[in-house]
Amino acid sequence: MPSAPELGPASAVPVLRADHVSRSFGPIEVLADVSFALNAGEVHAVIGENGAGKSTLMRILSGHLAPSRGGLVLDGASVTLAGPVDAERRGIVLIHQEILLADDLTIAQNLFLGREVRRGGLVDDAAMRRRAAQVLAELGSVLPPDTRVRRLSIAERQFVQIARALLVPHRVVIFDEPTAVLTPVESERLFAVIRRLRASGAAVLYISHRLPEVKAIADRITVLRDGRLVAARAMDGLEPIDMARLMVGRDMSKLYPEIPPAPAGDPVLSVDGARVPGFVDDVSFTLRRGEILGFGGLVGAGRTELFEGVMGLRPFSGTVTVEGRRTRFRDAAEAFRAGLAYVTEDRKGRGLLLGQNLRTNLTLAALKRFTRGSAIQVGAEERALDAAIRDFDIRARRPDLLASQLSGGNQQKLLLAKMMLLEPRIVVIDEPTRGVDIGTKEQIYRFIAGLAAKGCAVVVISSEMPELIGLCHRVIVMRNGRVAGEVSGSRMSEDAIVFLATGVHEDEAARIAAGEATTGEAAQGAGHA
Amino acid sequence: MRKTIGLGLAALAFSAGAALAQQKSVTIAVSIPAATHGWTGGVVYHAEETAKLLEKGYPGLKVIVKTSPNGAAQANALEDLMTQKVDALVVLPFNSDELTNSVREVKKRGTFVTVVDRGLKDASIQDVYVAGNNPEFGRVSGKYFADTLKTGNVVVLRGIPTVIDEERVSNFEKALEGSGVKVVDKQYANWNRDDAFRVMQDFLQKHPKIDAVWASDDDMALGVMEAVRQAKRDDIKFVLGGAGMKDMVKRVMDGDKMIPANVSYPPAMVATAMGITAAHFYSNAPMRGTYVLNAQLITKDNAKDHYFPNSPF
Amino acid sequence: MTDTALPARASRRLPAIDLKALSPFIALAALILLGALVSDRFLTVDNLVNVATRSAFIAIIAVGATFVIASGGLDLSVGSMAALVAGVMIFVMNAVGSPGPTTPGILTALSGLVGPSPAGALLAGIVVAIALSLLCGLANGLTVTYGRIEPFIVTLGTMGIFRALIVWLAAGGTISMRSSELREVYRPIYFGSVAGVPIPILVFLAVAAVAAVILYKTAFGRHIVALGSNEDVARYSGVPIDRVRILAYVIQGLCVGIAVLVYVPRLGSATPTTGLLWELQAITAVVIGGTALKGGTGRVWGTVIGAVILELVANIMVLSSLVSEYLVGAVQGAIIIVAMLVQRSLQRRT
Repeated sequence: MPSAPELGPASAVPVLRADHVSRSFGPIEVLADVSFALNAGEVHAVIGENGAGKSTLMRILSGHLAPSRGGLVLDGASVTLAGPVDAERRGIVLIHQEILLADDLTIAQNLFLGREVRRGGLVDDAAMRRRAAQVLAELGSVLPPDTRVRRLSIAERQFVQIARALLVPHRVVIFDEPTAVLTPVESERLFAVIRRLRASGAAVLYISHRLPEVKAIADRITVLRDGRLVAARAMDGLEPIDMARLMVGRDMSKLYPEIPPAPAGDPVLSVDGARVPGFVDDVSFTLRRGEILGFGGLVGAGRTELFEGVMGLRPFSGTVTVEGRRTRFRDAAEAFRAGLAYVTEDRKGRGLLLGQNLRTNLTLAALKRFTRGSAIQVGAEERALDAAIRDFDIRARRPDLLASQLSGGNQQKLLLAKMMLLEPRIVVIDEPTRGVDIGTKEQIYRFIAGLAAKGCAVVVISSEMPELIGLCHRVIVMRNGRVAGEVSGSRMSEDAIVFLATGVHEDEAARIAAGEATTGEAAQGAGHA
Repeated sequence: MRKTIGLGLAALAFSAGAALAQQKSVTIAVSIPAATHGWTGGVVYHAEETAKLLEKGYPGLKVIVKTSPNGAAQANALEDLMTQKVDALVVLPFNSDELTNSVREVKKRGTFVTVVDRGLKDASIQDVYVAGNNPEFGRVSGKYFADTLKTGNVVVLRGIPTVIDEERVSNFEKALEGSGVKVVDKQYANWNRDDAFRVMQDFLQKHPKIDAVWASDDDMALGVMEAVRQAKRDDIKFVLGGAGMKDMVKRVMDGDKMIPANVSYPPAMVATAMGITAAHFYSNAPMRGTYVLNAQLITKDNAKDHYFPNSPF
Repeated sequence: MTDTALPARASRRLPAIDLKALSPFIALAALILLGALVSDRFLTVDNLVNVATRSAFIAIIAVGATFVIASGGLDLSVGSMAALVAGVMIFVMNAVGSPGPTTPGILTALSGLVGPSPAGALLAGIVVAIALSLLCGLANGLTVTYGRIEPFIVTLGTMGIFRALIVWLAAGGTISMRSSELREVYRPIYFGSVAGVPIPILVFLAVAAVAAVILYKTAFGRHIVALGSNEDVARYSGVPIDRVRILAYVIQGLCVGIAVLVYVPRLGSATPTTGLLWELQAITAVVIGGTALKGGTGRVWGTVIGAVILELVANIMVLSSLVSEYLVGAVQGAIIIVAMLVQRSLQRRT
């Protein structure tokens, strides 16, 4: 990849400026008097905990939401955005966190969906394919434009989504937590795209929880806390730990809790010769009381499918022994009865009923505990919700909210609370901190450590290596549906895990992904917190 | 109605002798709507009975009866029938517009075509047309009201919005002209009992005085009667249905005060058409032209001529 | 995990008026106002009682449809099912009441068991009607669940099957209750009243009350809503989704059976056109009542109001003399759409 020379701010006038912007929902002010500026040729990161006002700010900048007070200034002139379409017309594009593509259309069809190239009243497929191939190539992808989106990986879909956004003339590009679903290698490829955007003179707004990558990619950061701007400064010399302190407002030097030493009891769960057709081939492992066992590997390595198979949620063969008894679960209810619980990675698709309230969600899996005869005891449910809100620190403006109205971190806490109502002895948590802020992360880590200390056996599936290393007694790494190896104790390092997960060493992987020219920076970018 | 069957049988008897000598083989296809309403149920019954009768009477005659649930299915059924060797087609089309072309294709192959009840758009296609007389149906009904009621308020329940219904109702109203009988309300009830019950309930609420009801169909008449009975209204002198359903004809026969009469619209017209068609092949005189079956007023005196206890209708 | 918690806000349990649940009632009130404006006969007790009584079948069937739709399914077969169950019920009552030479042996035996009295025949008819409707619902449920076929297609298929069976059973004609004695015994179930309230209204209120308890107060009801909201979430939460889905269709069948018990005494007959398009009316009632077609919510009382609204619209059309009978359908359609618009705009305001 040819590397363009770094440009400084292209001109004295910022491309887009927020001028004393506030926003209230009813009596609650979620954004208070925030001013900041986006410069051309600069990557500007906005960081903050969940609920700090990041997404509100982002929605105001992209025309999805109007400010209650204050205004936007585009190229030095005050502007009112009529909506996202108007914003796009003015060159402000937002790249959504959720993948918003039509699964059954091809890449090219998706890129041009709603703005098809026409010739004589008919769509000009050939022209759209050509243009799509060109845009994809500019982003450094070799995906054939005729591939159906359904067949793409999550990371590939995200590239398509970015390509779609960049198809229109753009001057301000807003990324909303783009790496939440990406592996380190894939993230590195995304950073290359962002650097090209910066080189081409676009102003990039980057929103993320992952502070190491913010350090790697951003030139300038703005920190929000409780709807207020608490810091705005250039990146120079700022370390992730400093950013965390600014975000949370206190010392974050201890992200990971003290983990009690690995126990040496009898195994409570052993899985032998596990197979899930198409995903998992001959995986065996054991889990002890009080142990935290990590499962590492790339997205698609078969970790999620393995445990869904064990739980009776997928076709599965192999032997499962729980507390000395050989067993086979036909559905999740049977696994629950045996003392297992699985906290899914897909909390929106499989974890929570987004259109239902918190109480309904909380008690759904353990509803039996809340029925007398066949009648549900709403009072008992309410008490359980109060307890969950307190114990898990679920921050809901009102308890009659719908699950969809919670932030990602609070949804995750609700999901954890829901599965804990089953009082499980074996807990499998899949991507425990995906898409949650650093404060919540710390809470979840401490919760997991507490579970193990109480004698639960815990499995943590994670794509974040620092998390596995900081939390687990040992880590099993999977690759292509098989166990690639196991690391524990002093041998636990990111490099060892990446090596097992990919078959190549980390710096080498980063070099392959990012291209030779950015080698040094890239290795640092995927680097250590 | 016995007369119409009689016509078929007469043709049969007349030609039997001549046919025997020739020993020919003739296939007649009969395409009719499936039994989704009482009346069409009667059509199916009569078609099947007549088919048996004719095959017995004419040596070498084969009759294929095919029912279809809607117009498109009937068009397909016609195509299927034509792949077999068929000398004549007797068809009661679902609707004229949809099926005219299908029948034209059949005609092009030299098939003898007899159309029943609902005429085709292009009259030159059909060799024989056996028609029910919808305007007459309305006129006879209207005349009955004018004659028996002389003066008073009448409510009308219409069928499904179709040409048939329109012809019946407009001629009913024409027949009332000059008399003291006034139509105070009319609504569609889709030749359906439940809808008729519902509409009649509302009529009873709306109009404090109703002298008689033209239900225009026996199914609807039954719904009307239940509504009247529930409301305990004694201002209503009678209900006139139509089409000669056996239960209703029985009540006319038994002298039921609320059901003093009925108007025939015999589903047996398909039997007439089949008889004429068979006669075309087995008698010396070729059959052509239009045969109109007049709607007859059924009263206590002639009711037993219209009573078929074995028909499903 | 509590040391970062904000102090819990005090006024968390504010009871908010649920406009969403209230909106069908507001639409109903608006419609009653309209009715009163166009006809002075509209606001009579007789008329309103007639309308409420007539809406009973659709209301009862629609209560069942609320379960199916809330669970994310659809049942198009209810109209045909009603016709079939009504036909079979009358057939059985005729056969048991006065067995003839063509009566199937099992019914003759049944007749011997309960005796040829009208009450015995009625009892046999009721038992058979309920059993058959449960079986029809079970057939739909099993096929949808284990055949993994779209409910739209499955119930479109059974709609045709049930309809054809009743046509065949009636040989294209009418199945009527033969015994006038039996008719008179049974007739009060539609036309009778208790303390001035017609029995069909009591029945549909009872059905709706029981259904509301099941849907809102039991684990099964919660499971129905969970299944309709998101099948995967339900499965991952250990909800027995196959059983829940099948039961939803069985409940629908039972509701059809109950509706038939109230329907048969009205006209004492079943024809091939009985129950035609009831499935659309039931679904419309459910949607007017505020249940989303995509599943995940169920509003039993809204559904009942929806059924009454449908019947009221037809009633107003007949009572008013403003609209030519040719245009009744158009005005009816327009009123329903306006009623929905009023509702939706109320819901958006929350």
